[in-house]
Amino acid sequence: MSRKAMLCLIAALACGPAAHAQQAAPAEIKIGHVHAASGAYASISMPVYDGLKLWIDQQNAGGGAMVKPFGKKIPLKLISYDDQSNPGTAATLINQLITQDKVDILVADSGSVLTAVAVPIAREHKMLLFNPTGTGAPFFTKDNPYIALLADPASTIWPKYLAGFLTTDGVKDGLKRLAILYATNDFTTTQANALRGFVKQSGAAIDIVYDQGVPTNTSNYGVLINNIAAAKPDAVVELGYVGNDIAFLRNLQDAGQKFKFLFALYPGVETDEVLKNVGAQAMDHVFTYVTSQAIEYKPNVGMTLDQFREAFEKSYKGQGVEFGFNAIAGYHSGLMIGQALADTDSLQQLDLRRALFAQSGKVTTLDGTFELDDTGAQIGEITPLGQIIADPKGAVRNVVVFPHELAAGKPLYE
Amino acid sequence: MRRGLRDVLFVVLPVVIIAAVAPLLYANELLLFSFVMYLTLAQGLNAIYGFTGYLPFGYVGVFGAGAYGFAISVMILGLPPFAALAIGAAAGVMLGLLLTPLLRLSGAYFAIANLAAAQAVYQVVSNPALQDITKGPYGVSLSEVFAPRLSYEVGVAVLAATLLAMAWLRNSRFGLSLQAIREDPISAAMAGVAVVRGRTIAWLLSALIAGLTGAVFAWHISVFYPETAFDIGISIFATVFTLFGGAATLIGPLLGVLVLYGVYNTIGITVPQYFQLIYGALIVGLVLFLPDGLVSLLTRRGIRVP
Repeated sequence: MSRKAMLCLIAALACGPAAHAQQAAPAEIKIGHVHAASGAYASISMPVYDGLKLWIDQQNAGGGAMVKPFGKKIPLKLISYDDQSNPGTAATLINQLITQDKVDILVADSGSVLTAVAVPIAREHKMLLFNPTGTGAPFFTKDNPYIALLADPASTIWPKYLAGFLTTDGVKDGLKRLAILYATNDFTTTQANALRGFVKQSGAAIDIVYDQGVPTNTSNYGVLINNIAAAKPDAVVELGYVGNDIAFLRNLQDAGQKFKFLFALYPGVETDEVLKNVGAQAMDHVFTYVTSQAIEYKPNVGMTLDQFREAFEKSYKGQGVEFGFNAIAGYHSGLMIGQALADTDSLQQLDLRRALFAQSGKVTTLDGTFELDDTGAQIGEITPLGQIIADPKGAVRNVVVFPHELAAGKPLYE
Repeated sequence: MRRGLRDVLFVVLPVVIIAAVAPLLYANELLLFSFVMYLTLAQGLNAIYGFTGYLPFGYVGVFGAGAYGFAISVMILGLPPFAALAIGAAAGVMLGLLLTPLLRLSGAYFAIANLAAAQAVYQVVSNPALQDITKGPYGVSLSEVFAPRLSYEVGVAVLAATLLAMAWLRNSRFGLSLQAIREDPISAAMAGVAVVRGRTIAWLLSALIAGLTGAVFAWHISVFYPETAFDIGISIFATVFTLFGGAATLIGPLLGVLVLYGVYNTIGITVPQYFQLIYGALIVGLVLFLPDGLVSLLTRRGIRVP
């Protein structure tokens, strides 16, 4: 064989698979998702859905997402069903996405209750479950490679800085009697347990004088607030879903009751939603988590916080879904799907998993550093302690007060 | 041919065969399981509501008790699935026994008290103080016994047994005595019918069916929270399906599930924004024009419906 023929053969062999791959490239990448447009979980689900959709729309406007095995951009198709906050319906729809729609990427609904039903189904069908915000501990086991928590730190990590503050600066400032009120669901009960554990481990001179769980559908906190006041706490930590926090803060304002240190979960997570419902004065000086909504990370992938907020509000203004942490979570989930597609060897689910896990510790988005442990739980994103400061015009800002290296202000007590 | 045998041959057998082979024809097994689950639950509700007139709004409480009976048997006692199913069924019956005093109430009072009881059971199960037993609000994971195909087949077997029980109730003296109790308990008692015993047996049979169905549900779904197992929507669906098709018949609840749950899954998936409107219109139309359910279209004309 002549050298020229040999070179042609080598060239043909080298180009062959690529040419074949080009032919085999799908016309679109199907992203299957379930969201809750109504019911108990709509307030946390719809922002995630809108954030994810925004990312998909942006990708498609640029020709699609880069998919490495085909060496080109491929349009994305979002197939998302409304489970109406019903776990049984969510389970059926997840199955529908896998078995009937045959999606390439499977994205769970928001929150642990609606994610829970998807976990065994995804595992059974060997589909990687891209899980935006389902932090439930039972989901993450070493024998299940088909799940990854994308945008929410595991529930046990959330109160780390809150506890850190209470057991150091707080004790010094006289916060020695602690009251904990929490809604009895997985998300907030896990945080209450973690908080107790951190306090106990620290050995700080903190006395838990009130510790009460209430049903998640609690909407009147009047009597509970009186009971807390009767225990004479220096610090009150209230952990609930957005509806709980709104009801708690309203009742607190109506009662005219003040606590030296008051923490509530959602003012820092869905700030606009809480502001719209309780007003700036009821939020003023409330301590809360600082999520990516109030921290300017320097992303190496995707938009900055300001850019995303502007794009989100431009796309969804007036549609009843407020910008907040969950919107960021949805967009961030899209970014991580994009990273996985750009780095995967194939659309096989375990290859997608390998590509996604390869991003761990390397990618920073507007949501912070993406980092997974070996069970697929998110451990990179952090929740510092902040304090809401209201201005006379009715606007609020969340100022980081702990840890010291991130602090932008000092805590102000009532 | 005797009526009972005819009902078994022309209703029970076809339904069970279709349910058994359906996974070979349609891949969304969970959707099929949901149909089987609601077919069974609607019949279980039929046993108490259709035959005695007692409407348990909190039927999901017994269902959830069965689910948690199964889950606790697997998690705490380490029992294999079939033994855990028996415990789940027993948990349903035990809760049913505990709630038998509610049968002293009637009409809306029984329905509301039953709903309150279901909420109470839910709050107990989801209480963080019981974490060591029920896992409280943290949810249950039964991945070690997860077997969707086998649990589906067991679900079909439970449906078959339930339909047979209903066919017997529909055609037996005992079933007739229950209907007499429903129409006029005083007259029935004067005619020698044991009213309290009859109601209690019907309620416990209904509780057994719900407990067993809840246990199979727990096995099939394997990861769930108290909110999932005690979802009031399960009670509402079972009740509406039974009423829509026609209570106190074998075929009524079947029709209710097939039509309404079919509509739910078709419209709910394709045009969810219109779902509640269409669903609501269907139910309002039913209440206005067919208060005795779809089967009354035939029974009004003197046609016997199985």
